[in-house]
Amino acid sequence: MKNFCKIIFIFILFILLTGCYDKAELEQQSYVIAIGLDKGEKEGTFSFTFQIANPEVGSTLSAGSDEEAEETISITGNDIVTATNTANSFVTKRIVLDQTKVIVVSEELARSEDFLRVIQSASRTPQIRRGVEMIVSKEKASDFLNNNDPKMEQRPHKYYQYMLNRAKQTGIIPEADLHRFFQITEGDADLFLAIYATTEKAETEDTGTEDEYIAGQIPQEGGNVTQFMGSAVFKEGMLIDIIDGQETRICNTLDKTMGMEELLSTYPDPIAPKYRISADYSQKEEPVIDVSYNKKTNHAKISVTVSFNLEILAIPSMIDYAQNEKNQKILRKSIEKNLENKTKELIQISQEEYGSDPFYWSLYIRKFFKDIPAYEKGDWNKKIFPNAEIDVNFVLKRLDFGKMLNDSNLNDVRD
Amino acid sequence: MHDKKTLKASEMFAMVTMLVGMKLTDTTATLYAQKSQNAFWVMPIISFLVILPSFLLLLFLLKKYQDKNLVELLESILGSVMGKLLGFFIFISSFLLIGLDSRSHIEQIKLLYFPASPNTVIFFLLLCIVFLGAKKGFEVIGFASKISLPFVKISVLILAILIMGEVVWQRIFPIFGSGLTIVLTEGVLKGSIFSEFFLLTIAYTSLRKTADFRIGALFGAFFVLFEIVFFFFVYTTVFDYNSIEKISFPFHDLTQFVSLGDYFTNIETFFMVFWLLAGFLRFIIYIYLLTWIFGAIFNISEFEPLLLPLSFITLVIGMIPDNSVVNETVYRDTLLNYVTPLYVIFPILLWGVALARGDLKKQ
Amino acid sequence: MARLLHSQKSNKKTPAKKETLYKDAKQNAEEIKRLFSHGTNEDFISRELIAAFNKKKVYLFFYSSIVNSNSIEEFVIKPLLEEEGESVSDVITNKDITQISDYQQAIENINNGKVIIFIDGDDNGYGMEVSQFQHRAIGKAENESVIKGPKEAFTESLYVNMSLVRKQIRDKQLITELTSIGERAKQSVILVYVDDLVNDEVLENVKNRIKNIEIDTVRNVELLEQLIEERPNSIFPSILYTERPDNAAAYLENGYIVILMDNSAACLILPVTFWDFFHNPEDRYTRYIFGNLTRLIRFLGLFLTTMISAIYVALANFHSEMIPPDLLLAITAARERVPFPLIMEILIMEIAFELIREAGIRIPNPLGPTIGIVGALILGQAAVEANVISPIIVIVAAISGLSSFAISDVSLNYSVRISRFIFILAAGFMGMFSLIGVFLLLFMYAASLKSFGIPFFAPVAPNYKSQGDTLFRKVLRAEIWRPTYVTQKDIQKKKKN
Repeated sequence: MKNFCKIIFIFILFILLTGCYDKAELEQQSYVIAIGLDKGEKEGTFSFTFQIANPEVGSTLSAGSDEEAEETISITGNDIVTATNTANSFVTKRIVLDQTKVIVVSEELARSEDFLRVIQSASRTPQIRRGVEMIVSKEKASDFLNNNDPKMEQRPHKYYQYMLNRAKQTGIIPEADLHRFFQITEGDADLFLAIYATTEKAETEDTGTEDEYIAGQIPQEGGNVTQFMGSAVFKEGMLIDIIDGQETRICNTLDKTMGMEELLSTYPDPIAPKYRISADYSQKEEPVIDVSYNKKTNHAKISVTVSFNLEILAIPSMIDYAQNEKNQKILRKSIEKNLENKTKELIQISQEEYGSDPFYWSLYIRKFFKDIPAYEKGDWNKKIFPNAEIDVNFVLKRLDFGKMLNDSNLNDVRD
Repeated sequence: MHDKKTLKASEMFAMVTMLVGMKLTDTTATLYAQKSQNAFWVMPIISFLVILPSFLLLLFLLKKYQDKNLVELLESILGSVMGKLLGFFIFISSFLLIGLDSRSHIEQIKLLYFPASPNTVIFFLLLCIVFLGAKKGFEVIGFASKISLPFVKISVLILAILIMGEVVWQRIFPIFGSGLTIVLTEGVLKGSIFSEFFLLTIAYTSLRKTADFRIGALFGAFFVLFEIVFFFFVYTTVFDYNSIEKISFPFHDLTQFVSLGDYFTNIETFFMVFWLLAGFLRFIIYIYLLTWIFGAIFNISEFEPLLLPLSFITLVIGMIPDNSVVNETVYRDTLLNYVTPLYVIFPILLWGVALARGDLKKQ
Repeated sequence: MARLLHSQKSNKKTPAKKETLYKDAKQNAEEIKRLFSHGTNEDFISRELIAAFNKKKVYLFFYSSIVNSNSIEEFVIKPLLEEEGESVSDVITNKDITQISDYQQAIENINNGKVIIFIDGDDNGYGMEVSQFQHRAIGKAENESVIKGPKEAFTESLYVNMSLVRKQIRDKQLITELTSIGERAKQSVILVYVDDLVNDEVLENVKNRIKNIEIDTVRNVELLEQLIEERPNSIFPSILYTERPDNAAAYLENGYIVILMDNSAACLILPVTFWDFFHNPEDRYTRYIFGNLTRLIRFLGLFLTTMISAIYVALANFHSEMIPPDLLLAITAARERVPFPLIMEILIMEIAFELIREAGIRIPNPLGPTIGIVGALILGQAAVEANVISPIIVIVAAISGLSSFAISDVSLNYSVRISRFIFILAAGFMGMFSLIGVFLLLFMYAASLKSFGIPFFAPVAPNYKSQGDTLFRKVLRAEIWRPTYVTQKDIQKKKKN
C-alpha cells in the first residue's frame, strides 16, 4: 500500500509539471482574431496575415502598458495551418485560430480561381468555425488589417463583433459566414454575397441617396478609415462583381434566410421630386415566393410578393401626406413602384450578367424535382434562372406617420 | 424487497436510448449521406422498418419461452450446438462493429478536441473507463443511464433549439435525394444500425418483470428512431446535400457552429461534455452486453472478469484501420451491409423452427 | 475457596461472568472493595451502618462523582437508619431497587451510578438508582442551525436525548431498545424506532452489527458509526449523523432507525440515501417554493464546489476555445507573470483554503477573526500582487470553497472536498475527456453503494414509491407515501385527497 501511494504521488507530480499531449497554458498561446488572405508572389502560394490580440491591452491588471492592442503579421505559405507554424519564427507563442472572428480576402485573390483552394483547406481544420464571417477588401488584405485602426474599441474582437453586428442589422452588408459560403458554393446554385469593406478612400460621388455606395465611397470625416458597405458577389467560389449597399438591402429583403432588423431609407418624394422622404422600412413576414415550373420546357415562372410596413420619419418637402388621402395614395404607389423598379433592375442584372441569383431562390424550385440527378440536370444556374419569368410585387401593408400628425406649414412659419 | 432485479422499464428505456441514440452524433449520418444525399434523413425509417418485424418476432418468441434470455432462447429452439453457433455469429458481428464504432468515436475525440494526443492513448483511456464502469454491473449501468439520460437529452435539445435559426426546410427537396431506389436499397442494407436492439435481449430476464423489458425496449426504440430522424433532418436542412457528404461529424459541426448570443460563440465544449458522458455509457453498455452474450455462449456464469480481455481485444480491432476515412467508408460500411441479413433473418429462422416443432402451440 | 484463591493469585480485577456473590456480606464487601481498588480510587465510597429494621450491619458502595448525594441520604441512608419494616424493599423509599446476585451485576450497577448494599444475613445485594451523571444543558444546534424551525439540539446525555425524541413523537409504538457494547467498559446504546414502521431486516442487521463489535470500549456514536458501517474505505458516508432531534424524529416517522448513546450530542440515522445527506431539515420547514429554491441553490453549490476548479483547469488547459474572448484575454494577461502552471495555481489555492478552514476550526475562539483576516489578506491580496497567483484563481477557489459550506452534512462535506481534488487532477490529465470519465466512474461507484441494503440513489434509481423528496420536494399535502425502499409497513402516510 505504501509503495502504491508513492507511485501515485510521483505520477501526480509528473502530470502536474509536464501535462499531457494537448495541454497548453493560456499564456503560451496567441489568439488570432482576424485572418487575411492574399495572393502570394509565386503561383499557388498565398500570403496570410494574422491579426493577433494582445491580452495585456484593456485589462486593468497591466494598466500602463504601452503595447499595441494587436499585432498584425504576414507570412507566405501554402495553407493557413502550416502558416501558423512558420509564423513562429518570429511570433513567440503558439498561434491558435479558435477565436477567429473574420477572414479578410483581398479582391484580387477572390477574383482568382485559387481562392476556393485556400478557403477549402481552412474549413478542414476544426479551429476555424463555420460562423467566421467573410470580408472582401478592396485592397490587399494585409493592408486592410494594418490600416484598420478603431478608435474606441481597442480590442480587435470587440471591434469586429460590434461593427459587423450593427452593419448587418441595418442591412447594408449581408450575412456572410463560412457556413453559408460553403452551402451556396457547394450547392452549385445561387450567388454568395460576402461583406465588402475597405480602408482606402475612393472618389466620392454624392448620389443623393444614403445607401447607393460601396465601401470607400461614403463621404466621411473623422473616425476610423474602415468602411463596411455593399457586398462582393461570388459565383461558384469566384468573385464576379461588387454590389452597393442598396442592392445588398434588396437581396436581404428577398432572401428568407437572411435576417435584417431595421432599414432606414429614403425614397423620392412623388410630388416634390427635389426632395426625398425618409422612412423606416420593416418587413414582418417572409417574402412569398411562388414558383411554377414547367418540366418539359425547363422554364420557371417566379412571382415574388413582399409585404412590408413603412413608418415615415421625415418629409423635408413638407407636403401633407399624413392627412391628405390623395397624396397618401400617390406616395404609396410611388414607394411600391420605386422598390419594384430597383428590385427588377437587380434581377435583370443577375439574370443577364451573373447568370444566377443572389436571393437563394433555388430552394423553391427544388420541390419540383424528384431526385438530385434530375435537379442537377435542370441546372438552376445556367438554364432555369436566366430564362425565368420573374414578377416582383411590393405591397405596402401599413403606412405610419410617427407621432406627429402633420409637419408645420413652412409658409406659415416663414410668414 | 431486496430482490436483485430492481431495474424497471425506465432504466431499460434509458439504456436503449443511450446505446442506439448515440448514432445521431457519430458518422452514421455521413455514411448514409454518401449514398443518398439529402434524402438520408428518411433512411433510418427504412432501416428501422426492416429491422422492426424481426425484433418484434424475437420479442414474441421471448415472451412465449418465458424466463429465457437471447442465448438460452437460441439454444432451446435450435439445440445447444446450433444455438451456440448462431449466438457466436451474433457476438462476432457485434464485436467487430463495436471495435470500429469505438475507433470512430475516438477519432472524433481526437480530431476535434485532442489533436496532439495519440489515438492509442485516447483509446486506452476510453477503454479503461469503460472497463471500470462496466465492472459495476448491469444494475448500476441501468441507474447511471437513467440519471444521465435527462442531462444528455436536454443538452441535445438545447442544440436543436439553437440551430433552429439555420434550418432551411426547403433543403429536403428534391425529396428522393440521389434517387428512390438508392435510398431504399441503402436504407434496407443499413438495417444493422439498429442491431443493438437484439443485443439487449440478453438482458431479457434481468429486469424486474419481463413486461418492463418489452415496454422499455419498444418505447426506447421508437424514441431513438424519432430522435435520429429528427437530427438527420436537421443535418439535411442545415448543411444541404453537397456539404453533408463532405462533413464527417455533422453533430460536431453543428456544435461548433451554434453560438449563445455574441458572448459565448464557441460553446462546443458544453455539448462535448454530455456527448462524452453518453459515449462512455454507450460503450459501457455495449461491452457489458457483449461480454454477457459471450459468457452465456460458453456457459461462463461469472462473466464479469471477461470484461478486461474483451475491452482490450476491442482496442486491437479498433486500431486495425489505418485512418478514420478508411474506417468509415470501407470497413464500417461493408460490415453494416453484411450484418443486416443476419439480424433480419435469425428471428424468422427461430420462429420457423419453433413453429415447426410445435412449441408455439403448447403455451 | 479455590475460586477465591484463583482470583487472589491472578489478582484479577474483572471477575469472570456470572461469578455469584458469597453468602457472607462482609466477604462480599471486601471483594467489592478489592475490585474497585478502594482507598486508591478517590471517588469510590464505601460505608457501613447498622440498619434500624433488623439491627444488622449494612455495607454501601457507590461512586460519589456520578450519584446524587441528596438522594442517597434521603432515600437510602435515612430510611435504613430510621425506618422499621420487614425487608429491605419495605424500608427503602427509592423509586427503583434491584436485586444483585453476582459480581458482574454489582460492578455494572456501581458503574452506572447506582448505590449497592449488602446486608448481613442476606444472600443478595441490592442496587438503588441514584445516578446523576453530569452533562451539558440542552443547547442550540450549532452545526446544523436553521432560521425557521426548532432550535434544540441533542446533548451528551442518553436520557435527555431520548426525552427530546419522545417529545417529538408521542407514539406508543416508539420503541427505545437498549443494548450495550464494549467488552471492558460497557456503554448502553439505544436503538430508537417506530415498531410498526421499521424495516425489520435493517433492524436485525444493525443489531447484529452492534452485537458483533468486539472491542473494549466504544464511548460514543461517532466511534460507533465507524464500527458498524459497511464500507470503511469508501469516500461516501453510509450513516447520517445529526444533532437535531426534530431531524431524527422526521426520519423515525418514515421507518428509519435512530441510534443514541451517552457522550454524544448527536444521533446516527440509518439507512440513508444520497438525498438524506443533501437535505437540510429547514427545507421542509419553509414553504414549498422557498424550500425548493434553497434546494436549487444547494445543488448549485454542490456542483460548483466539486466541479468549478476542475472545469476551470480543463477549459483553460485543454479547451481554451470555449472561453469567451474577453475573459480569455483577461485570464491570459493575468497569467503572463505567474510562475506556476495553472493546475499548480489551483492546487495551491485549494490547499490554502483547506488550511484556513482547518485552522478556523482549531483556532482558539479569541484568535479566530484575526487569523481569518490574515489568511484572507495574505492569500488573496498579497499573493496576487506578488504575481504568485492570478486573481481569477482566487475567485475560482473562493467560489469552490464557499459553495462547499452549502453542504451542511459533515460527512458528505468531506466526500465532496475529496472528490474536488480528484476531479482537479483528472481535469489536468486529459481535460474534459478524463474529467467526464472520472466523474462517471465516481458516479457509478456511488450508484452501486448500499447503506444497509438501501441503494444510495433510491428512490430515483432504482425507482421506488416514495414521498418524492429527492432533489426537489413536493407540496406537503401531496406527500402520500412513506419511502418504500426503507419500509414496507403502512406505506401510506396521508389519505389521498
